[in-house]
Amino acid sequence: MSTLSILMSAFVLSIVGLGFFIWSQRARLTDSGPEASEIIFAKGEIGHPEKAIDRTTPQAVSPRPDEAELLARVRADASSAQVVFFFYCCAFVWLLVASAAGLTASIKLHSPDWLTSEAWLSFGRIRTLHLNAVAYGWAPMAGLGTALFIIPRLLKTELAGARYALLGGALWNAALVAGLGSLAYGVSDGMEWLEIPWQIDILFVAGGALVGLPLILTLLRRTVAHLYVSVWYMGCALFWFPILFFVANFPGLHHGVEAATMNWWFGHNVLGLFYTPLALASIYYFLPKLIGRPIQSYNLSLLGFWGLAFFYGQVGGHHLIGGPVPGWLVTLSIVQSMMMILPVAAFTVNQHLTLKGHLSALRGSPTLQFICLGGLMYTASSVQGSFEALRSMNAVTHFTHYTVAHAHLGLYGFVSMVFFGAIYFVVPRITGREWPWPKLVTVHFWLAATGIAIYFVSLTIGGWLQGTAMLDPSRGFMESVHATLPYLRGRSVGGALMVLGHVIFAVHFIGLLAGASGRAVQPSPALNAATGDI
Amino acid sequence: MSSPEILPQQRRENPDPQERTTPIPWLVLALAIILAAFGVDYISHAKLDTPASWGDGRSHSELAGNKPADGAKADGAAIFASTCAACHQATGQGLPGVFPPLAGSEWVLGKPTTAAAILLHGINGPITVKGQSYQGAMPAFAASLGDAEIAAVLTYVRSQWGNAAAPLSAATVAEVRTQHAGRTGPFSGGDELKALP
Repeated sequence: MSTLSILMSAFVLSIVGLGFFIWSQRARLTDSGPEASEIIFAKGEIGHPEKAIDRTTPQAVSPRPDEAELLARVRADASSAQVVFFFYCCAFVWLLVASAAGLTASIKLHSPDWLTSEAWLSFGRIRTLHLNAVAYGWAPMAGLGTALFIIPRLLKTELAGARYALLGGALWNAALVAGLGSLAYGVSDGMEWLEIPWQIDILFVAGGALVGLPLILTLLRRTVAHLYVSVWYMGCALFWFPILFFVANFPGLHHGVEAATMNWWFGHNVLGLFYTPLALASIYYFLPKLIGRPIQSYNLSLLGFWGLAFFYGQVGGHHLIGGPVPGWLVTLSIVQSMMMILPVAAFTVNQHLTLKGHLSALRGSPTLQFICLGGLMYTASSVQGSFEALRSMNAVTHFTHYTVAHAHLGLYGFVSMVFFGAIYFVVPRITGREWPWPKLVTVHFWLAATGIAIYFVSLTIGGWLQGTAMLDPSRGFMESVHATLPYLRGRSVGGALMVLGHVIFAVHFIGLLAGASGRAVQPSPALNAATGDI
Repeated sequence: MSSPEILPQQRRENPDPQERTTPIPWLVLALAIILAAFGVDYISHAKLDTPASWGDGRSHSELAGNKPADGAKADGAAIFASTCAACHQATGQGLPGVFPPLAGSEWVLGKPTTAAAILLHGINGPITVKGQSYQGAMPAFAASLGDAEIAAVLTYVRSQWGNAAAPLSAATVAEVRTQHAGRTGPFSGGDELKALP
């Protein structure tokens, strides 16, 4: 049998298998009882967008929530508040560290003589510090913190073993400090996304396992029969990441071309099977929550989840197009990259159906603005990524700033935006304090949105020009470098706006902790009317 | 068990979300079919008839590289830089006691046929160059360099760093090649080379 026919039959069989599997989930072939997937609405839930609530007298006018539901939610929050707070504090620190490193690296690309006195400030190291502070600091701390908050609520169970998560979080952060220190010192494993030396990675594995443990314990003690879609995503992210991280960092397992293949298997999967599900789970939770309307299609949720789970694991190979890896592997990864459009479309349509007719809720809630923009950017960056995997497009964009713009659309425009929104929602519930200066939330939103827009547009244009210049044999290499200069400056401007937004975000958080608003037992009408923050 | 205090933030929010069972829109199903059809089409047009070890999208002609066309002039300087300079150094001075110099070397400036023979088959044994003795370990290039290339690099070496000996033609190298056609190992040192015609 030829390679082609093996590949073709594997593809067709797997697609048919996936379709049957999703259908069987829906047809309850794998359920033990008929009630298991029955949908139960809480009382007074439908048709009451949060915006409609008159905040001057919230108790009187709001639809009286089911008291049992409220009590379960309050118990869940009380059990997770401490550990979520710890994770969020770490997230803030790493966000600032990563922002500073990222902006420094960006400026160095057009002003190479800036800050050259120290080796650790050189581009090669500061860029790596930026990537690792985002990849193992900000994104997982914010994402895991949000997961630890949402999962007990959705399982209507108190978080079991929160102490393990606290210890795990401490170990994880100790590992990250050690890892960034060694990178700054110049000790690295030499593979992108896997730079931190494997000796330190042992700490990450131990810390990650300790964070995952309470979530498993809580799942085992759950009091709900039906698992809401957010739980699938978060549970799987916590299951996938340790496997990815352990296999990718295990020393002496992969060499040469295999190591490169594994490198991008990890590099792409950590985005799609760790950050993406954590952020998607947050959207699936906060979007319906904030507009007071259920997610419209359980069927689309199934398609979106299993599609992501099935297709994503194979897309990493598109980073190696034209490389010394087998052609069938790259071809399969290109096809699966395009197939990713399906789960993305399922997610998008589902959110659209849920939001339809309730857009006015956006005006009142900054959390919802962050979440909705994040959701839109998920669709945009995923579809862009699918087309970027095609050989014709990849020939131009590979090895250019275009890819960098795409990566930031995903990890900033989508993931970080969603986590910003989540943090704005969660912090008042775990601290019992209101955000003191609501206008700053709006400022943060517009700085972040404008910043990423400038960033993305400049680098996309610059990267494309760079790619076409590099493909033209009649133009020298330096021409492709000079072509990008104005766009790199544009990127620094966008990046600076984003950093400013983060500083405001952090200052606001400190203001909240310092008790600038005090403990608002009866929230002031002016405050809530201004933000609609809930 | 004592109930924790209910915060106003918790009281004012909506209940936790649930799901409805709206069917999958037919447009999404159509998209699924279109994408699957694309996948089948893309795979069926993929060029997968080359061995997997060649790499993605590589053809034989790409991997074979650019062999100089017949009649094209070989670049002696380039061959020297890529093949010889690692030991004999770009200055042609070698490394004292380890790699003999080429500048002013009696072997380089002497009989062109002997120099060509050294390049073709290499040396493994003692050799004296400019009065200093070396333990020769010169590799053979009969298999990797053609007659024109050996002629070009020898011509280059014989004209650099103060050397001023006559150029070599590819025909001379070809002659030496046939002369030593039966040879399987390197020359055993300076004594054997001196005995060459």
